[in-house]
Amino acid sequence: MSYVLRRVGQAVVVLLAAFTAAFVLLQAMPGDAVMIRFENPELGLSPEQIAALRATYGVDVPAHQQYAHTLLGFLSGDFGHSVQSGTAVRHLIAEALPGTLQLALLGFVTALVLATAVAFLSTYPRLAWIRGLLRSLPSLFVSVPVFWLGILLIQVFSFRLGLVPVINPGPVQGLVLPVLTLAVPISAPLAQILTRSIDEVYTQPFVTVVRAKGASRHWVLWRNVAKNALLPTLTMAGVLFGELIGGAVVTETVFGRAGIGRLTEQAVSNQDVAVLQAVVLLAATVFVLVNLVVDLLYPVLDPRLRNKSGASV
Amino acid sequence: MNLTPSVGPSAAETAPASAPDRPSLWRRPLRLEISTLLSCLVILSVVAWALVPGFFTSASPVTGEAADALQEPSAQYWFGTDATGRDVFSRVVHGSVHSLSGALVAVTVGLVLGTLLGAVSGAVGGLVEDALMRVVDVLLAVPSLLLSLSVVIVLGFGTAQIAFAVGVASVAAFARLARSEVVRVRGTDYVEAAYASGGRFHTVLWRHVLPNSMTAVAALAALQFGTAILAISTLGFLGYGAPPPTPEWGLMIAEGRDYVATAWWLTTLPGLVVVAVVLAANRISASIARRGRA
Amino acid sequence: MSHSTTPVRALSLLAAVGLMTLTGCGASASSGTGGDGGPVPGGTLVYLEHQAHDSLYPPSAGFYPNGGLVNNVTDRLVYQDPETLEFEPWIATEWEVNDDATEYTFTLRDDVTFSDGSPLDAEVVAKNFDLYGQGDQDRALIVSEAINNYGGSEVLDETTVRFHFDAPSPGFLQATSTINSGLLSEDTLDLSLEGFGPGNSTEVIGTGPFTITEEEIGTSLTLTAREDYAWAPPSRENQGRAHLDEVQVSVTPEDSVRVGSLIAGQAHFVRYVQAQDERQVEEAGFTVHAPQTNGVNNSLSLRLGNEILSELPVRQALVAGIDRQEVVDTIYTDHYPLATSTLSTTARGYADQSEHLEYDPERAEELLDEAGWELGSDGVREKDGTPLTLVVNEAAPQPRSFEALTLISQQLAGIGVDLRILAADAGTYAEAINDPDQVQIYHSMVGRADHDVIKSQYHSQNRNTLLNRDPGDDSVQDEELEELLEEVASAAEPEDRDEASAAVQAHLSEQAYVIPLFEEPQVYGTAPSVHGVAFESVARPSFHEVWLDE
Repeated sequence: MSYVLRRVGQAVVVLLAAFTAAFVLLQAMPGDAVMIRFENPELGLSPEQIAALRATYGVDVPAHQQYAHTLLGFLSGDFGHSVQSGTAVRHLIAEALPGTLQLALLGFVTALVLATAVAFLSTYPRLAWIRGLLRSLPSLFVSVPVFWLGILLIQVFSFRLGLVPVINPGPVQGLVLPVLTLAVPISAPLAQILTRSIDEVYTQPFVTVVRAKGASRHWVLWRNVAKNALLPTLTMAGVLFGELIGGAVVTETVFGRAGIGRLTEQAVSNQDVAVLQAVVLLAATVFVLVNLVVDLLYPVLDPRLRNKSGASV
Repeated sequence: MNLTPSVGPSAAETAPASAPDRPSLWRRPLRLEISTLLSCLVILSVVAWALVPGFFTSASPVTGEAADALQEPSAQYWFGTDATGRDVFSRVVHGSVHSLSGALVAVTVGLVLGTLLGAVSGAVGGLVEDALMRVVDVLLAVPSLLLSLSVVIVLGFGTAQIAFAVGVASVAAFARLARSEVVRVRGTDYVEAAYASGGRFHTVLWRHVLPNSMTAVAALAALQFGTAILAISTLGFLGYGAPPPTPEWGLMIAEGRDYVATAWWLTTLPGLVVVAVVLAANRISASIARRGRA
Repeated sequence: MSHSTTPVRALSLLAAVGLMTLTGCGASASSGTGGDGGPVPGGTLVYLEHQAHDSLYPPSAGFYPNGGLVNNVTDRLVYQDPETLEFEPWIATEWEVNDDATEYTFTLRDDVTFSDGSPLDAEVVAKNFDLYGQGDQDRALIVSEAINNYGGSEVLDETTVRFHFDAPSPGFLQATSTINSGLLSEDTLDLSLEGFGPGNSTEVIGTGPFTITEEEIGTSLTLTAREDYAWAPPSRENQGRAHLDEVQVSVTPEDSVRVGSLIAGQAHFVRYVQAQDERQVEEAGFTVHAPQTNGVNNSLSLRLGNEILSELPVRQALVAGIDRQEVVDTIYTDHYPLATSTLSTTARGYADQSEHLEYDPERAEELLDEAGWELGSDGVREKDGTPLTLVVNEAAPQPRSFEALTLISQQLAGIGVDLRILAADAGTYAEAINDPDQVQIYHSMVGRADHDVIKSQYHSQNRNTLLNRDPGDDSVQDEELEELLEEVASAAEPEDRDEASAAVQAHLSEQAYVIPLFEEPQVYGTAPSVHGVAFESVARPSFHEVWLDE
């Protein structure tokens, strides 16, 4: 129990540190959101009008006061408003989150399926003759820029072959290409873990014994591979979730989808502090939660770790 | 962003730490040798491009003939020309120095900072380890793309700054790997033996623990090399690229994407060069990792 | 009201005819498929936007994604014919202007209602202009750039409203016709900046032919036709409700995806077709529309506060050293005519300045030699150890700004000038473009079909693109320019305004302050099934008369 408490305590520390680090980083950026939004000559505002706006937004308040104000706001559930659009951050996040969650979850599941397929095929004895090719697939998957992949998929599957529309697609159709775009690079490390696990299972002496006793090859393989690969996969899931948000930035831009990724990218470029703080906190919370669960599951899943505490690879 | 794979294989490389290290049943040394050789060849040629670009092309990478804008690949222009008539092949050759050095800086930043963090926490343990690993957690908790973008904005646009930003985002991956490797090696029999035979902490750490932990880290570094090129390219896609007219690969792919239907060569050919280099880097990484285990 | 008749009018008419034939051709070429050729009611038009809108507050509607929506959701007091640029009745049936243009009296239609059912009367119109003319700092709502010297409003009766100005404001009539003066309902005018922002768009209520019925922040919006709409400008063909049932606006940032979707039949109408894609669109049998923006041309402003550019010969050398024709030929298409002055030939007050804009690289080199800028070993000129290095911003909203500037920097390298394109994040950018020592050359344009547009661009209290007023110490470099610009915005008679505008253009050319590149269009692509495409005077689409035959 004390272990659980300690982990929760650590999680809170990480959250606060991430929040603070993001604030410091944002303060260090040149210019500020009000300047970016209003000091644009295209708006034709006079210097007096700009000065008045700066006062309205309170951007000239000292940084530590802004920090205290933002932190208190967040603690009381008030995430503030976007300077760029004036919209409440809570509203922006609520609208963007479901799309990204859907994309990220499906992307991860698809990546798992893809990885399993690649791993299975590249260890399948009858396909030995193209094994070199199959085994370099994961490397190929991670060597293509994601935006490039997305644009290429659209050109081929939507514009040339006309299989799925990009504009106003149905709920399922609209997910096919973005999910694939997101899943391909993520499947690569998973495929590598699985391939290695399968390889290792075959080298274990007990496999020969079990098979000699009449167990089918598949049964042996999957039982043991699953056992072997589960932990690394779980660990990765924790790390990858934050990364999925990064992948979502590119995917959402290319496919014109609303979501946390695009929201983040626009908020960075406009230095929309309130939005960014909220996104950082959201991402950090997800990361911390997933890792907490993974860490707590570790001893349950791996008997070898039952006596140790706080194992994290 | 494209840092994803870097994190993956790092976990993958650590996975066998708890399993017996034995050569795979189906390993075919000869075939792998050839592909590794080919990979080295790819890397060597782009390094040669970077060192003596003038030897490979005489065309200027920054000025072109406006009359020859958007020409298809031909004997004169191997990779075609861009919208202002510049020779794309020349830009790729001259760009290699920016892209390679960018990737190198990124890997070095991640490697040095990350390994330091990881090795110290793994070797010292206790409170220090706890504190350092929380720092790593924070680095992981902030999405790496967001981290890179913010660092670029703070430091300003430049090849070195962008490379640094990409490197910072990979510190956590190196730190976690280095720590787990150090912890693993520290627990092995021969290190126990070294301590038992009167070895002092620092000496044992330096002589036995670090060298034996570094293979996996080196494999990750080679892998990161390719990943960094992609990450720099993604930053270019989002508008945070090297200042023009720097012929940086990632930026060329990103800028050429608007022409994907009308001038396919602008984004495809530099893209293929990047794919080849990243593939080669991954191959070399895999081969380092194997050697470490064999 | 007063009419202007000057030689300039003939020219702008000529250009307008050119524009009509351009858009007309597309329509007639494709209308053959539509049975008897009459408008077919119904259907949903899929319109692809380049960027997401960020506000529906009309004074912020200069941003195209905002303007495209505001133009269809709101009506204006006066209608400006996009081809002739003449003023016609719309919500105001008639108007009167006093002699020195300090009082405007409008008589309103009495049958107009907002989409929430509330009637449009003099009271609410007055409230509209009180907000647009004065802004509201507490709500961070800005003053409309189009309205100068606003004094206040006076409601004379239910359908008559008068506006007072502290100084002559001859541009006000045109200002009432722009999307920056879109009329909003009483309740909408009480919204804060947040209320006008994304996420609340369905609450922004106008009298226009469409209402916003659905919104997904940052990705899509649905415009639905108002069944009871019956107050289009009398000169328009369609006097009733819009032919379409709905317009679905989808944000599609990637250029290749937007154009690809159009050609693949997934969209009907796309904004921002890049020059390199025009041929692809036309070859597929689709129509390219390129309405002009009728204002200050796409141009480079040379910041006179910078030490290097404070010398006239250097500025003249830059003008002579850039082959503008090559830029237009290489980067753009026929829809981007070479500029012959700071103003577009279709803009009000245009005066030809071609004699000052000739390409002559030898002359450019002579000028630089004489000014003491000598070629250094690296091919870049220098003087007293200072290299002739200049920085230009990339104008993100302008078509192919980056490619054009890349080519220009290649051209300038030929005369020993090192031109760099600023690469920066938004914060650094916002700072740099206001500092003549960081960004010496500013790339921009502004569209508005009124004489005032030139003042908007160059006056020290407006866009100040030349940084004539140094933001650092507020000192004004060229007082004469300021006076000339003020004359444009205060002369009451159109003839005098033409003259004043010509004087400004002459001054800008003689001083070599500006390098105009081309007359900027907004380029749209439409599918063959789309008919009745129309644009307002600064090229925002109007969907009221659009119909589909599918």
